[in-house]
Amino acid sequence: MSPAARAFFEAAPYVAAFVIGALIPRRSSVLERLAVGIVGALSVLALKGLWPDAAAPVTEKADEWPHLLNVVVFMPFVGAIALLFLPRQSPKFLQRFTLTVLGLNFFVSLFLLGATMTRGWHFQYITEWIPSLGIRYHVAIDGVSLWMVLLTTFTTPIAAYVAFGSVRKRIKDLCFAFLLLHGAMLGAFVALDLFLFFVFWELMLIPMLLMIGVWGGLERIKAAYKFFLYTMIGSMMMLAAILYVVWTHYELAGYLTFDYLALSKVTLPRTAAWLCYAGFSLAFLIKVPVFPFHTWLPDAHVQAPTGGSIILAAVLLKLGTYGYIRFCMGMFAGPAAHAATTLAGLVIAMGIFYGALVAWKQDDVKRLVAYSSVAHMGFVMLGVFAATQSGVEGALLQMINHGVSSGALFLLVGVIYDRRHTRMVREFGGLAKVMPVYAAVFILITMSSIGVPGTNGFVGEFMVIMGTFASNHLGAFSHLHGGLAAAGVILAAVYMLSVVQKMFFGPLTNEKNANLSDMNVRESVAMAPLIALVFLIGFFPSLFLNRMSDSVTATLDRYIEGRIAWSQGAGAEGASLRERRGGPLETGYPLPPSSTRAVAAMDGKEAH
Amino acid sequence: MQLSTSFLAQVTPVEPSPVQAALTQLFPADNFVLLGVILALPLIGAFVNGVFGKRLGREAVTLMALSAVGLSFVASLVAFFMVSSARVGDELVRFQWTAWEWFRLSTAGDFSQTPLNVAFSLDALSAVMILVITGIGSLIHLYSSKYMEEDPGYYRFFTYLNLFIFSMLVLVLGDSLPILFVGWEGVGLCSYLLIGFWFDKSENASAGKKAFITNRIGDFGLLVAMGLLLYFVGALDWSGIESNKEALLAPVKLWPIGNEVPLARILPEDAGKWLNQPRYVSGATLVGLFLFLGCAGKSAQIPLYVWLPDAMAGPTPVSALIHAATMVTAGVYLMCRMAGVFVLSPTAMFVVALVGGFTALFAATIALVQNDIKKVLAYSTVSQLGYMFLGVGVGAFVAGFFHVLTHAFFKACLFLGAGSVIHAMHARIHDTDQSQDMRYMGGLRKFMPVTFLTFAAAWAAIVGFPLTSGFFSKDEILLKANTSFVAGTSVAQGDFTWPAWGHWVLWGLGAAAAILTAFYMTRLFIGIFFGEFRGWTIVRGYQAAVHGHADAGHGGHDDHADEHGHAHEQPGPDMQGPTPHESPWQMTLPLVVLGILSLAGGFLSAHLFHVHPLDDFLGPVFGDAVQRVKLIKGHETRTIPLVAFAVVAFLVGSLVAYWIYLQAKGEPARKLAAQFPRLHSLLIDKWRVDELYEETIIGAVDSLADMCVWFDKWVVDGILARLTTAIISLSGTALRQLQTGRLQTYAAAMVVGLAGVGWFLLTPRAAAHTSADHSSGRYEITAAPGFGYGYRWDSDGDGQWDAEDFGEQRTIAFSLQTEETRTIRLEVRNAFGRTAEREFTFSRPKPDKSGYVAAATGVGAENLKNAHEGVGMKQ
Repeated sequence: MSPAARAFFEAAPYVAAFVIGALIPRRSSVLERLAVGIVGALSVLALKGLWPDAAAPVTEKADEWPHLLNVVVFMPFVGAIALLFLPRQSPKFLQRFTLTVLGLNFFVSLFLLGATMTRGWHFQYITEWIPSLGIRYHVAIDGVSLWMVLLTTFTTPIAAYVAFGSVRKRIKDLCFAFLLLHGAMLGAFVALDLFLFFVFWELMLIPMLLMIGVWGGLERIKAAYKFFLYTMIGSMMMLAAILYVVWTHYELAGYLTFDYLALSKVTLPRTAAWLCYAGFSLAFLIKVPVFPFHTWLPDAHVQAPTGGSIILAAVLLKLGTYGYIRFCMGMFAGPAAHAATTLAGLVIAMGIFYGALVAWKQDDVKRLVAYSSVAHMGFVMLGVFAATQSGVEGALLQMINHGVSSGALFLLVGVIYDRRHTRMVREFGGLAKVMPVYAAVFILITMSSIGVPGTNGFVGEFMVIMGTFASNHLGAFSHLHGGLAAAGVILAAVYMLSVVQKMFFGPLTNEKNANLSDMNVRESVAMAPLIALVFLIGFFPSLFLNRMSDSVTATLDRYIEGRIAWSQGAGAEGASLRERRGGPLETGYPLPPSSTRAVAAMDGKEAH
Repeated sequence: MQLSTSFLAQVTPVEPSPVQAALTQLFPADNFVLLGVILALPLIGAFVNGVFGKRLGREAVTLMALSAVGLSFVASLVAFFMVSSARVGDELVRFQWTAWEWFRLSTAGDFSQTPLNVAFSLDALSAVMILVITGIGSLIHLYSSKYMEEDPGYYRFFTYLNLFIFSMLVLVLGDSLPILFVGWEGVGLCSYLLIGFWFDKSENASAGKKAFITNRIGDFGLLVAMGLLLYFVGALDWSGIESNKEALLAPVKLWPIGNEVPLARILPEDAGKWLNQPRYVSGATLVGLFLFLGCAGKSAQIPLYVWLPDAMAGPTPVSALIHAATMVTAGVYLMCRMAGVFVLSPTAMFVVALVGGFTALFAATIALVQNDIKKVLAYSTVSQLGYMFLGVGVGAFVAGFFHVLTHAFFKACLFLGAGSVIHAMHARIHDTDQSQDMRYMGGLRKFMPVTFLTFAAAWAAIVGFPLTSGFFSKDEILLKANTSFVAGTSVAQGDFTWPAWGHWVLWGLGAAAAILTAFYMTRLFIGIFFGEFRGWTIVRGYQAAVHGHADAGHGGHDDHADEHGHAHEQPGPDMQGPTPHESPWQMTLPLVVLGILSLAGGFLSAHLFHVHPLDDFLGPVFGDAVQRVKLIKGHETRTIPLVAFAVVAFLVGSLVAYWIYLQAKGEPARKLAAQFPRLHSLLIDKWRVDELYEETIIGAVDSLADMCVWFDKWVVDGILARLTTAIISLSGTALRQLQTGRLQTYAAAMVVGLAGVGWFLLTPRAAAHTSADHSSGRYEITAAPGFGYGYRWDSDGDGQWDAEDFGEQRTIAFSLQTEETRTIRLEVRNAFGRTAEREFTFSRPKPDKSGYVAAATGVGAENLKNAHEGVGMKQ
């Protein structure tokens, strides 16, 4: 075949997808056609690029550029600082600048997919930060955080784009908040030094607080306080626990470090282990949120502007589950394993069921979606507690799914709010007649949210439920828990379909709705990538799962090891330090300040 | 009929023709891409119509939809012949096509991962099913192109319809339970969308929602069944389940869930014992019952049948395709597919048969009195589905599946015929309920001959007119209900054997339902086609234009009332209207085809005449399962009486209806209703089951939700947010009193503080540090020093002070024998003469022979040392 012909056949699927995508919009907006076309072509790219290629050799880390993560994390911060020097008087320019930075950030983050996600850390970068306290700048990703980073870089541009459509005041501040928030979230996902993690974790709070408090609804100040205080209480507990673990490590090993790799080697005395586990998990479970710490969420969502809600649902909540997997399960496997059965029962009864029932009774659509988040995150946490390969993989996938479908739902609620300035279900009815595209998209996302097969929601839920059935950790309760979780899908259908019926079907009763305009270009463009992802994950979850499975296995191995050690009495006789194993999971292990560099070179070669 | 003869010919292996050889080469058995073609066509149709349909125009949409399904039918035919010709002996032929890997699932205990592929397979069972789906699907697409002609949502309708065909094909072709589940929920979604197709009426949308949620309850059962299968069998694909299904015979502890019931401790001993007594059930029973819950949801069996009658809110072709011919039989298909698992559990099978039989009778009683022709057909469908479950429940899988086929023919024909009648009624009556009410019909035989004849054929089949398709399939089910049973396995604990009376109960339910079926179908048939026309007074040359409703086609909307201004006129002799007319060919052609199939389809499995190509074709699919199905002794002698009874049932039912509704013009029925008004209204109200559910389950969940909302607002938020806020603000108020800025207050606080410190210094404290070494038996106490302290000791534990005076000795040491205990007392006096006393008890334990504590300590210490060394080494 000639090169020209080969190039043609290479390009043909992309061109075809682009053309089909560009034909989909009914109105003749170039921007919309272009955007949907690009989404089509990108979907094909994702499909071809991520497809497991058996022929390709497993490349080692040679082609990983160590500064890539730094670029990804610091680009928003640099952008935020640059933004301060731009004129407040030209909001359009500020918006374009912000979107460019965020878009570029997404593009750069795609290069993270270039690495083969083998067991261990990738794109690791370490440098001293505060040597006197053993604090380092240590960032790296594995298969778990990779998807969280990509979810963040994917969602924030959409959220910002949507926000710019409806927010009219203090644009510069809004842009600054978006960029700062974006950088902090990314930092929290990639930080492997607990001090660094804590800094990013707290940094995240401020822009979100501002977003709710400045651009929010009527009760915005109250909601912002509530959000801030709830999260802060958890953070303080976590900080105390961090300091205790660091101190214990210092006592045992003789040098200070805040590094996750080193601190996860510490076995604490029993009581201390329970308390520190409680401190960490409180911080994360509030963030998820898990009953009874969930009431900040509906308030925050209802008051936050659409863009803020999207980020809150899609990314911020995920920090809770991510943190639980990484830190609670990684550092306190014993207490985590012992609490798992009880907590699994809690998230089923008070998350999946309770959340769904409360959601069903809400009058405010946004509140409803917020409570549905409680139910969905219940599924995620159940998968984590079940601690089987497919349970945790399903939980991770469900985190992405929830980001996509809840983000999309909040976006859609924002659409109707912008037109009617109300979100009360009783104000609507029969909207499908006046806003057919909106109705179709809403129903599609509803199906994704309630987990109809073929959409993303199903794969995640199904893997979690099956993982629960197979779970050893839940003991005799695994079947009961699995069965109950399966029953939760009934309630999901109940509350989502009820709201769909009340809003879209039946006669058009309210005069005010008779002349509503359908989704505009901006809203459609923002929805297109989310819809593409709904089907991409629904049909081809392996593209995502393949890149996380090794890391999930590694996480679970350590978790099970810690659980066995605990049941054999580890920590009963005071604190101790587990032996180092070497191998890819311990590259970048912090060394005492006086040590030579020779040992560092040894790390990589040690067999696991 | 054409189908049956052609695969009759193929059962005997013949020399492969060049075409066959080429096909086999193109589509090898392990990579049967033809399935991809069959599946892709309707999906493309749905996509194109859904996204571009509004711009394409009516003709293009029709072309796209019809050609997608039609071509899919052609491909299905090819696939069917390839399956039938590939058969050698009794081997199961299964063509497979794996598209891609979907995801992996952990098996029990997370020790391994089983891959779950997007894979499809075709065997005899699914080959027949896809022919039905695409074949009847094509006919109904053709019918709809005329029926829905004037609907503004034309493209939307065909999108859903194509999507339905795709989902149904996925359901049938899926090679594993999860893929089947994709189709399973997919058809549910399409059903939801199509029932609520005319969504501007609230009750249509509600009916759709009800269908979806009821189906979800069934889907829950299916999910649990999948989880259990994954746990016990370790696979979810057909061949994996088949090869490991024996693992399901293991007993499963159902109760108590943990080691014991916590409640049992506080109960009286006997009750506690009873509560704690382990209860076992075989895994197969558990899986079987949960699978059946799924089947009951999809196939409208008791207790989940309530959605199907409401589903008639959808357009009539939808009722024919989805709610009669294909989707609702998915449950029976699943039972046949999982036959190997079901027969492992006689309990599950008996439950299935009993529920099936009871549903058949129950639904038939409701159908007796309904006047809405679609409602009659809907309850009839529920009843016929009950027959199918009765069949598969007693282990007659082929008979049950055969009834799926014949039912698809005659019920689709009946529904389409009803649609044709409704279409004709729409010439003048536009209200949905009235246009479907048989009290306004009658005598249509003269005006609609084709509809009448085809409806008659389908009527003959469903009432069991001898030699029609329904006669053979129903007869076979009743025969098997009376004679066959599922034998228990010796392995499973708590095994259940079918009671001897079971046959007569099951048969009795089916037989009674058969008489009722003949009755209500004859009533319907007479009500529509015989007697005088009651809809309106026919006026020749009636001007329809007055009402703005042109003659041709008039839309075929079932639901148009509010778009025309004249729905207020009551139908009856006072209303005038045109002559009812026959439907166009697009609508009558499907009727004719289905009518012929209803009459002749019985010879696919006519055991009475020893003609049973279907049994031979499907044999290998159930080959393994039917091993456990046994026939009772002396079953041969029952055949003839039972067949005779079937004929009698048909005669009794239809002759009684003939006499009541045609000879006596319905007078006896009215009298009977007047005599038993309560029973009659109970039947009219469908036994008020919907109301029962509304009051019990739905009401309970509803109040639970209200309670949750209250709890969330007042308890959770109340305690965590409001109470905390209150406490903090209260303590803020209290503390603010201290920050007054008045010097006097501060001086007073200082005085109080100084006094406190002084008191602290004055109080003596008998604190001490102890050290113990159990191995050598040496113990030491060191008292804490203090300002001007003097100490005295009772070191030998005899209750006397060693010295009466307070001295300077702060430390004492002593040793103990093994297992000796001693209490040491210490008294401290400070400079101001105040004293404090404290006791210390020491005991030296026996050296631990079990070694646990010592060993643990040793390991701990060693670990600690190792850890230090490990770190040290690296330094």
